[in-house]
Amino acid sequence: MANFQQQNRRGSVGYSHPEARPGAGRPPADGSRRALMLGGAALIGNAALIGRLWQLQVIESEKYKEQALRNRAHTESIHPVRGLIYDRNGESLVKNIPVYSVWLKASELSADRETPVLSNVAALSGELLEQLRFKLDQAKQSPAEAIQMADSVPRESALAIEERQHDLPGISIRTTIRRSYKHGNTLGHIIGFTGPIPAEELSIYQQRGVLFDEHVGRSGLEKTLQRELRGRDGARRLEIDAFGRTFQEVSSQTPIVGSNAVLTVAVNEQNAVREILARHLALRNQGAGVVVVLRPDTGDVVAMVSLPDYDNNVFAKGVSNKDYELLASDPRRPLINHAISGLYPPGSTYKLVAASGALESQVILPESNIKCDGQLILKDGWAFNDWLPQGHGLVNLERAISESCNIYFYNVSGGNPYTNLTGLGNRRLSEFERGFGFGSTTRIDLPSEAAGVVPTSGWKKDANLGPWVTGDTYHSAIGQGLVQVTPLQIANMYAAIGNGGRLMRPRIIDKLLNPEGQVVRKFQPELLGNLPVSDRHLRLLQRGLLLAVNGSSGTGKRAQSSYAVVAGKTGTAEYSGRRDPEGRLPSHAWFSGYAPASKPQYAFAVLVRDGGEGSFAAAPIARDIVDYLMTGQMPPLPQDRPDYVSPDRRL
Amino acid sequence: MTRVFLLRIDWATLISTLALIGLGILMLQTTSSPEAQGLENRAVQQAALAGIGLVLAISMSQIDYRFLKGLAMPTYIGGLLALCLVLFIGDASLGARRWFDLGLIVIQPSEIMKIAAIVFFAKHLSERHESIRSLRSVLTSLGIALFPVSLILLEPDLGTAVIFLCIWLAMIFVAGARTWHLVLPIGIGLAAFPFGWFFAQDYMRQRFVMFFNPSSDPLGAGYNVLQAQISIGSGGYFGQGIGQGTQSKLEFLRVRDTDFIFAMLGEQLGLVGTLGLVLFFALLITQAIFIALRARDTFGQLLAIGVAAMLFTQSFVNIGMNVGLMPVTGITLPLVSFGKNSLLVTLIGIGFLLSVHTHRTSAPFRQQSVQFVSGTLASVRSRIGPRQ
Repeated sequence: MANFQQQNRRGSVGYSHPEARPGAGRPPADGSRRALMLGGAALIGNAALIGRLWQLQVIESEKYKEQALRNRAHTESIHPVRGLIYDRNGESLVKNIPVYSVWLKASELSADRETPVLSNVAALSGELLEQLRFKLDQAKQSPAEAIQMADSVPRESALAIEERQHDLPGISIRTTIRRSYKHGNTLGHIIGFTGPIPAEELSIYQQRGVLFDEHVGRSGLEKTLQRELRGRDGARRLEIDAFGRTFQEVSSQTPIVGSNAVLTVAVNEQNAVREILARHLALRNQGAGVVVVLRPDTGDVVAMVSLPDYDNNVFAKGVSNKDYELLASDPRRPLINHAISGLYPPGSTYKLVAASGALESQVILPESNIKCDGQLILKDGWAFNDWLPQGHGLVNLERAISESCNIYFYNVSGGNPYTNLTGLGNRRLSEFERGFGFGSTTRIDLPSEAAGVVPTSGWKKDANLGPWVTGDTYHSAIGQGLVQVTPLQIANMYAAIGNGGRLMRPRIIDKLLNPEGQVVRKFQPELLGNLPVSDRHLRLLQRGLLLAVNGSSGTGKRAQSSYAVVAGKTGTAEYSGRRDPEGRLPSHAWFSGYAPASKPQYAFAVLVRDGGEGSFAAAPIARDIVDYLMTGQMPPLPQDRPDYVSPDRRL
Repeated sequence: MTRVFLLRIDWATLISTLALIGLGILMLQTTSSPEAQGLENRAVQQAALAGIGLVLAISMSQIDYRFLKGLAMPTYIGGLLALCLVLFIGDASLGARRWFDLGLIVIQPSEIMKIAAIVFFAKHLSERHESIRSLRSVLTSLGIALFPVSLILLEPDLGTAVIFLCIWLAMIFVAGARTWHLVLPIGIGLAAFPFGWFFAQDYMRQRFVMFFNPSSDPLGAGYNVLQAQISIGSGGYFGQGIGQGTQSKLEFLRVRDTDFIFAMLGEQLGLVGTLGLVLFFALLITQAIFIALRARDTFGQLLAIGVAAMLFTQSFVNIGMNVGLMPVTGITLPLVSFGKNSLLVTLIGIGFLLSVHTHRTSAPFRQQSVQFVSGTLASVRSRIGPRQ
């Protein structure tokens, strides 16, 4: 067979018999060489492909394996529901409201479907088409990432969009939680609000796994308890296909639900205290003030009001420019919780610090008298006045406190150049101030607490305010000049005087509960320190406070309550500002104390900013609060009280 | 007689052809949905068409290829008419008009034109082998070739147009044109590139840019190339196993039945698979070159060169695109990619090869069988030697 074939072939065509027709002849030798060249080129081409394949599949294989894994591996966070907040009596103070927003992933929306999809979304969500187009253009900058097209769309619209998902490629609905606060203004400063993550904190939150569009605690307890209320994300590890569809679930981890917080504050008491303060402030032009009420034994916050305040719902919903401008432009600064962040000179409420220092350092004996002429003129000519021009005459400690004699405290703090009294001096006085908790925060669980200022010669020099002079010591002793405190610090000092000398850490969160109602964490009362006063001297201070309200010539008579014996101290803290027609500096009015005097249940600080005299402006507020706290009944209106004096007619 | 028939087939060509078709069907089987029964299954379709094509190719091996000369002119003109027609009444998809949908079958004139052009160029050039060394002949030939090329560019289908030019270039080179006559049009073409850029369709520019930097827009035009490389790279030495790769299974790899079937193979069968495929192509093309060397006449030689050029340029451009060495062109992998026109046309080309082989110059049978096994250059030299 083979032979046959060979012969046949040989016989039919041969080298020497080219056919006559053109193109039918033997291929030229040159063509064969060129054909071989092409064959060689093809082999080189294939060799190049093999080289590249070696690079891809051997050298760089690991890299591509990892990329393939990254392609399909997708982790989806499961967000826990934010914890709720309850008052002391278990009343819920906040609600979680689902909010629906429309998102677009530009990569999933093909150009030819843009118009129908956008018009559908516009019709369903009520957004303007032009607005959506603008956002689509933005979304195209980062097509892989979803961008928000519309916020807070109504539930019906969200459901309608979700139903038509397959007609709307790239469009998705996200459900997030917005907070709704039941007692907006009443608890606004305490609870605070949640809002978008501020730009400067974005990276911190991202490290904690918080999504960029999640709302986080921005102020108040929402901020302090951000971690606890939020809980921890769960995660679903998915294998997804190229279109983002879930192929299978690899693993799943359930989220840790946020804790619920229970406060020491009761809504009804907070609300009443706020109402009482508001009634008093309403009688003034541009009234502003602060009330803090504590439980002396534990440091529990009973009420904390700073007026004017704001409705935190406005912020939780996303504050409009107009609303924000209104709040931000108010010179009284309603957005700030002045109870913890406001710094003021404490005035005469501060005198107990110098008193304790003088007694403990044996600068003076309790029964020693100091003569008050109404004025003390230093040898360099500086004159320091008492609030009573004619003077109090001979005063001992008790009277000095109850009648709030300035000259007495000048003598015991800075000394008297005309007698042999040397005084405490700046250094020792500042140690006692610190001992009463000033110059450092009380560590209450609220953000933005101010520490205040305990002035010393070093501090004054660092602040470039010149050298320390005796007058500075005088001013510090009576809570004027450079001293700066928060109302909470004052309330806390009086709570400590009332409870026998224990300076407590103010407690506003009682406990954290898990969703089943079991206590996750109890916030125990915490001792910050003991007042640097012996029991014997403390009793003297207490007696001075008792007389200041109940004595025949006490400055705090208007704080007398029919339902409990009040002990307390007025304060009139002048501050630099526009003088009145008589040339007097403006002043903040203070009253601080506790009740009942024998076994205090409440300690409080009342501050009426720019309120004039403490005895007129602040003491009546304290009385009304004590009345309310002891009876549970709202007191009569301030103007209906027989001892009422209109702010306009006061001296 | 059976024995005679078997011996007159070029086994190396046939086996590498079968191997490549087999690899393609294997890959198509892994992507076909389980619901697709019978002829709905792409693997089955491909296998059926491969059967028809192979019968056609083997039959052709027994027919003297010279009968094609008579068909050269009519098919070329018919092909040109079809290319004109498709521009007007063809089915549009993705901005291009490239095929007729006749319901049962889809006809892609540019595919059919490939084989018609090879036959036509072979006849045309073999008839002018005396005058081919003149520039005028080269330019005339180029002019004839530019008819289909421009029609295909209008579809638009840049890739196929380039393939046509490459086939023409290979054929006229082997036909004996002066090298610098060929360098000249290439040079003019390159010089015209900036103007071409100006007139180019957007998609062409985009693909060009994308070729140089596929990761610049990973979810846009560069997506497919990037995913193809990830697929191939993640295959490693032995691949993820048949039907296993996540890149193809989860559809990160797009158009994986056609343009990117090589990447799918790379993922599932690894370096073993891709190397095997490239080597089968190399064998097929080398074999085609040998067939050209042993052709009894210039027409047969050019026919074989044309088919070799078609196989090489398409496989190189396609694999090159898959591995990121070539721009994205939409050129399928001959014999492997799913595509009825392409598969049939390629198998007809293989039929030409087989026919040229069967009707080659006489050569000792022993030598042939040696070459069948080794295909070494030594045997080639022994054959070329006497002629020089």
